[in-house]
Amino acid sequence: MAIINQATKELQVKIVYYGPAMGGKTTNLVQVHDHVQTAAGNKGKLVSLATSSDRTLFFDFLPIEAMSIKGFKTKFQLYTVPGQVIYNTTRQLVLRGVDGIVFVADSQYEKMSENVESFTNLEENLKSLKLNMSDIPYVLQFNKRDLPNIAPMEYMEFLLNNRDVQVPSFSSTAHKCEGVFETLNMITRMLLHKFVSQGTPQYA
Amino acid sequence: MGTLPQLIEEDIQRLDDALRELLEKSDATTALVIDKGGFLIIGQGDTRQFDLTTIAALASGAYMANQTIANLVHETNFNSVYQQGEKHSMFVVCIDDNCLLAVIFKAAVSVGVVKYFSGPTVEQIADQLRNAQDRDPGAGLDLSVLNMADTSELFKKKA
Repeated sequence: MAIINQATKELQVKIVYYGPAMGGKTTNLVQVHDHVQTAAGNKGKLVSLATSSDRTLFFDFLPIEAMSIKGFKTKFQLYTVPGQVIYNTTRQLVLRGVDGIVFVADSQYEKMSENVESFTNLEENLKSLKLNMSDIPYVLQFNKRDLPNIAPMEYMEFLLNNRDVQVPSFSSTAHKCEGVFETLNMITRMLLHKFVSQGTPQYA
Repeated sequence: MGTLPQLIEEDIQRLDDALRELLEKSDATTALVIDKGGFLIIGQGDTRQFDLTTIAALASGAYMANQTIANLVHETNFNSVYQQGEKHSMFVVCIDDNCLLAVIFKAAVSVGVVKYFSGPTVEQIADQLRNAQDRDPGAGLDLSVLNMADTSELFKKKA
């Protein structure tokens, strides 16, 4: 849960990019890191704990500060999880203290079962932290829309967003930075509105 | 999952004092209070030499990973991690359900000294966090000064 420090007027929020392996989670963070407009010193280093073949081993981490929010120094910590099935314990660790989630789905037809499996895994891992999807703001990002063998948006909506309360979804081509900032802005807006309207304590 | 209390200036002052005292006694370089989710709550000492935000995220990750390993080998008494370096070492110890204390110290400083003086510091910090919780356990978030009017584009892409 977010850290709100009334003494220093500082708000820290944790956003986790979740999704199947090779879906583009790390690419999202790399694009944000490369293209975000910040005042000097507001963007931290992108830290990747990855294997030699650039697969995320533990997590990627990018701290950034939003410029436009007045009154509080608002720091966002962006994390990715490793998508490979075997790293589930690691995903559970990264999810601890999560405030918002970006689910990055791979739009290729052959990846649909992996998308669904990863989404189910997310729900299970949140349950293990005594959370559920209705407690945590999240958005869907349908990535790799530039590839030829992709499923229609409507089909992906049906698979991943077929619930009582539907969440915002975005099409993206992360490696071209298309849809990356739209997704990030939406999840941060949802989070801030939740904090302001909720009025219940998280911590610090 | 438990939640930490909101900290007011008095809490921050007490935590600062506790960390400063630890640094003086142990001759350590930097001390941090970290949330187990990876947030840096407060740092004292040499805070310019190191990227504390990143250290906080990685130290909590490392601690939590080691705790999981400890569970897997049926270790029930796990509460600290010691990383030994040639220039600087780090000692991370559990404060309570939500927080960790991380102490960075020069390799020449004995880890035993750091561990010894960390004990009372952990208790002081835990007490202060408890006091903060007891003060107003149901306190709401005061985000009244947060200006939500101009948040349509929180993050902008470089032109």
